[in-house]
Amino acid sequence: MAKTAEELNKELADAVVDMDEELVGDLANEVIENGYDPLNAIDQGLAKGMDEAGKLFEEEEYFVPELLMCSDAVNTGIDILKPHIHLDDAGERHKIVVGVIEGDTHDIGKNLVKVMLSAANFEVIDAGRDVPPEVFVDTAVKEGAQIIMIAALMTTTMDRIADTINLIKERGLEGKIKVVIGGAPISPAFAKKIGADAYSINANAAVRIAREMLG
Amino acid sequence: MDVLTPKERLLRSLKKEKVDRHPVICPGGMMNAALVEIMQHTGHTLPEAHHVDSLMRELAYDVYDNTGFENFGIPFCMTVEAEALGSPIDFGSLSCEPKIKVEAYKSVKDVEFKPRGVMEKSSRVAAVVQSLHYLSEKYPDVPAIGSLTGPLSTSASIVDPMTFLKQLRREKEAAHKVLDYVTGHLIDYAQLMVDNGATVISIADPTATGEILGPKMFKEYAVYYINKLVDAIHAMGVPVIVHICGEMAMVKPQIAELHGDAISVDAFVNLKQMKEEYNTLTTMGNLSTYLLEFSDPDTIYKQSKVLLRNNIDIISPACGLSTSTALKNIQAFTTAIKEE
Repeated sequence: MAKTAEELNKELADAVVDMDEELVGDLANEVIENGYDPLNAIDQGLAKGMDEAGKLFEEEEYFVPELLMCSDAVNTGIDILKPHIHLDDAGERHKIVVGVIEGDTHDIGKNLVKVMLSAANFEVIDAGRDVPPEVFVDTAVKEGAQIIMIAALMTTTMDRIADTINLIKERGLEGKIKVVIGGAPISPAFAKKIGADAYSINANAAVRIAREMLG
Repeated sequence: MDVLTPKERLLRSLKKEKVDRHPVICPGGMMNAALVEIMQHTGHTLPEAHHVDSLMRELAYDVYDNTGFENFGIPFCMTVEAEALGSPIDFGSLSCEPKIKVEAYKSVKDVEFKPRGVMEKSSRVAAVVQSLHYLSEKYPDVPAIGSLTGPLSTSASIVDPMTFLKQLRREKEAAHKVLDYVTGHLIDYAQLMVDNGATVISIADPTATGEILGPKMFKEYAVYYINKLVDAIHAMGVPVIVHICGEMAMVKPQIAELHGDAISVDAFVNLKQMKEEYNTLTTMGNLSTYLLEFSDPDTIYKQSKVLLRNNIDIISPACGLSTSTALKNIQAFTTAIKEE
């Protein structure tokens, strides 16, 4: 007997947590063969699994390598499911610009945030590493993104984050573009001091913050 | 009054022998103190000094002379090793450290194993060892520290780091092969440093943190290959400092397994507590680089005294310094330690 959509979604979520790319691929194909809603399989299957993986990361059960493998599994599933989504079902995905601030090339944290946001079905525009303030703001404006997430891994580069926030103010975009910051040298106190909209302690928190900000 | 020379003091501290006061150092590499303020004043500037030994040694001397740190620390970046093993480098600017332009290989399975001996053919390795040679001959009382990028960070600088991290789990055999290969070349590089007068070797491996790898992989990869490197350097008769980045609550037992003569840690690690828990450990650290950049000389002076009260064996910044840190802040730090 064919599995129900709910059963498949649950198995998809579990396969993501188990870092089993192959199984995710098989299950995603099963979703399509059975004519189930691919968007639902992404939201209730893949993204749920990634939420669970994020929790395990916060509980220090999973570490960076595991989280990256879970995200590979999610991407495998999305690649199979996406072509079957009818555009008008999908609605518009919120865009978020992520990047590492100018002067800094440590991008593991940024990449994790990107992975988690993508898995949570946000459209992520990756500005890369060593990104100057103007590029952050220009990219957000061009893409119509409401959130910029900036990572810094060195104290060297923290000033440039404040420059980005000031640039948003100068251009009259305050409130329209929100800034979330994180990274090893960043503290909630520093975020407050430079006027960031939020501080994210890790990649999983970044998803929660984005969901709250975008409703 | 100082009874010991800076070199004697550091070497004795690393052997846990009695010293007249605590040494205060900044080992170079990831933790280098080539501040913009110093370079603008002396004219020995980066990025040129990453290449030319006459400039590199002058800059190392300027840093020693201006900051009050009691050592020479060379080089001023973490890219020498990866460049020799094939990754192209962007050398940055006066204020911005060099970085890997793009890793040479996409996967651990793609790595071409270069024969031993590539290190001595690298022009930047030559600049580093010639500088060490010059400084150690001319200033025999000052310890010349040769800084190495650790095995995991070097590997993650020649193989795409995101793929590399996954492959530590998925392609264990190939990952171990790459780490073994990289460690071999690092040993060669360390040997060149030692042959040319390095007093101490300092290893920083920022990719090898408990936070990134978790305790299991930290032990399987970081501890294993760092120890392999440390053991080889010990066989050359030189002590080794190992710097581990990040929070380490989770990997404390593994830290105690490291063979380094001193363990240097980040600012948020409680060294006093660590010293109590593992009394054989020689601790190094850990004045916040954030404090050094954004605070004032008075506050820094007071915080430095806390490190002395906690009897941290070797005093140093907690991590890589910002190149825009004010010199007077660094001087407040070193002065506080030296007048002990």
